[in-house]
Amino acid sequence: MSKTLTYYRTYVIRALIIICMIATLASWYLVSPPIDAIANELSIWNMNIATFTLFVGVITILSRYVKGIKERADNWVFMLYATVLIVVWIIFGTMTGIYADIYQTAFLSTKITLHISILGQLIFFMTSAAYRLFRIRTTRTLLYALCTVTIVLCNSPLLLGPFPIVDKISFWLLNNPSMSGSRALMLTGGIGGVVLAIRILLGLEKGALRATEEL
Amino acid sequence: MISTDPWVWVSALMTICSFSLLYGENPLFRFGEYTYTAIVVAHSVVTGISTLQSRFAPLISGAKPLLIIPLILGLMSIFVVWRRYAWIASFPIAIMIGVGTGLSMRALIATEILSNIAAVIREAGLILVGPPVNSLGYLIRVVFTISGLFYLLFTVGHKGPLNKPLSYLREIGKYAFLSYLGLSVGNAIMQHSGLATSAISRLLGQWLGL
Amino acid sequence: MKIPELSSRTIWAVVMIVYIVTCTIPIGASFEMSDITIEIYEFIDDLPEGSVVFIGGSAVFAFDLESSASLIACLKQMERKNLRIVCAPFGVEAVQFHKYCIDASGVMESRGGTWVYGVDYVQLPYMPGGAAAYVALMDDIHTAVATDVAGTPLNDLPLMQEVLNHEDIDAWICPHWAFDMIVRYVVAERDIPGIYFAQAAAYANYVPYMMAYPGMVWMTNGFLGGAQYEKLEGVPGLGTAVVDSYAIMSVVYVGFIILGNITMYQNRDEEEEIIQ
Repeated sequence: MSKTLTYYRTYVIRALIIICMIATLASWYLVSPPIDAIANELSIWNMNIATFTLFVGVITILSRYVKGIKERADNWVFMLYATVLIVVWIIFGTMTGIYADIYQTAFLSTKITLHISILGQLIFFMTSAAYRLFRIRTTRTLLYALCTVTIVLCNSPLLLGPFPIVDKISFWLLNNPSMSGSRALMLTGGIGGVVLAIRILLGLEKGALRATEEL
Repeated sequence: MISTDPWVWVSALMTICSFSLLYGENPLFRFGEYTYTAIVVAHSVVTGISTLQSRFAPLISGAKPLLIIPLILGLMSIFVVWRRYAWIASFPIAIMIGVGTGLSMRALIATEILSNIAAVIREAGLILVGPPVNSLGYLIRVVFTISGLFYLLFTVGHKGPLNKPLSYLREIGKYAFLSYLGLSVGNAIMQHSGLATSAISRLLGQWLGL
Repeated sequence: MKIPELSSRTIWAVVMIVYIVTCTIPIGASFEMSDITIEIYEFIDDLPEGSVVFIGGSAVFAFDLESSASLIACLKQMERKNLRIVCAPFGVEAVQFHKYCIDASGVMESRGGTWVYGVDYVQLPYMPGGAAAYVALMDDIHTAVATDVAGTPLNDLPLMQEVLNHEDIDAWICPHWAFDMIVRYVVAERDIPGIYFAQAAAYANYVPYMMAYPGMVWMTNGFLGGAQYEKLEGVPGLGTAVVDSYAIMSVVYVGFIILGNITMYQNRDEEEEIIQ
């Protein structure tokens, strides 16, 4: 019985994917008001369903923290603090609204400050990594180091002021050799994306759907 | 003069917590880390509640009763967190995958593939036109793009008479990517330097009044 | 004299000292203006009065801070030109980012500017769904989004009574990381010009779009582009401050690379002995 239900479920899911994909493609390539209406409705449904994914994170984190607090795991005190903070912040945010000045101030002073500091710290790690990594032993490291050093100096106002041509060199480097590598990646990524879409259409990619797991 | 605004003090505390990692693993950094995680998650929920009110306003007002279907599907999607009942979430996820894949397929073909190929062809026609610097630029674009593609698509060498010439093309592609990576890393230094400047200047300027 | 191998903490201490010095003592470093930044500035300047510009995209606030330098200056320019804007957030933190830029630019009436909410600018709520959200918005804005961020029905806002779909959008500014979505669903599919105030790390990734869509896509380059835009509009801000400290930091970064290579060559004989 369970296997039969799994098969039915697999085919229903595959049919859903095919219908949604073909509707969105057909609405773009064909002129058909009924297909347009279906595609537009599916886009709206997609947006509405995606809203609920915002609540998945809190369930996962809270269940992990509550388990850690009960078992007195490492850093359980911090988990307790975080759990309390989550509840307090949700109440605070719901009462004030996300566009209120007080919520904005709180958000900027805490999360954004932390995030900017964490990302800003990377320059420290990047400098010490550069000290160790850019040691020129082969042609490849020479090219890599030369490109990095050139663009770092070309973006620097210390050179830009007395030698304005450096700005043009910087943009020439970014818009020619650098752009070419990025373009090749983009082309390959595009081909890969189309292949993946076809594989999904043919039902060859189904891991995330858990479609074949038995009930 | 040191600031008396409590939010500036909170901001300064958060900055110090974060930068304390440079000294080593410590409780201050853990405090900052858990604060960050908690607020990210809580903000998602607050945004989610606000977004739900906005997205389902037509359903509540009766203007669009059909929205009951995505409401049910959305509630089903939450079951993904429980392994035993995750199959329930596969139906709304199927709709999201179907719509997303259809939209990305039509966009990828036009923007990532066709427009870039058209740009390469256009630039190939401009190699012998204009000043030498521009010509060199166009030549580099065409050669590096094609060789980079060769490197990505034919990374593993093939046996046969064409293997040797293609291996040279692959080698050029490898160096093209090295130059891309080196230049993009160098450009990224400016980004992280700026963020560090923003954090430290807020600490010194806003908090300590220096 | 042999240079010893420096520990990471020594390097971090030097970098921290550099930042503390440059943040407290500005050096007023000068920089050159880029042609692309001037093109973007002139494009915005040439838009007719009353044009509707959408500002939106999806990413993380901290990464987007780099774009805020250009965006804040651009908002002041758009206020001066009497343009109208609609903020369309597709990321969870994008609402906060848009509010931050609007507040910092001081264009709102409540902060000394001339813009009135609902008439000159509107903040839409977060729109989840990725590509589907962009497509739905371009097709029919009022079907994709029923209310603004505060819950006011869009039909009650004078600006949104005139802005119904992609045909009413004159330009799209993206101050967020995910510019590829804008190119795909706004520029390529709907022929709307796209301006990207790019983060430096993202510039290298997305510059092929500028080559693939000439005359439709323009990009500034990180904080330097932000400083250039601030200089054009005459409003020094974060971009100018960052370029200042970057002037010294760039030399320090290259200095450590050179030092690392000197250390390596000095110790090369010892390494060869160990290998043998």
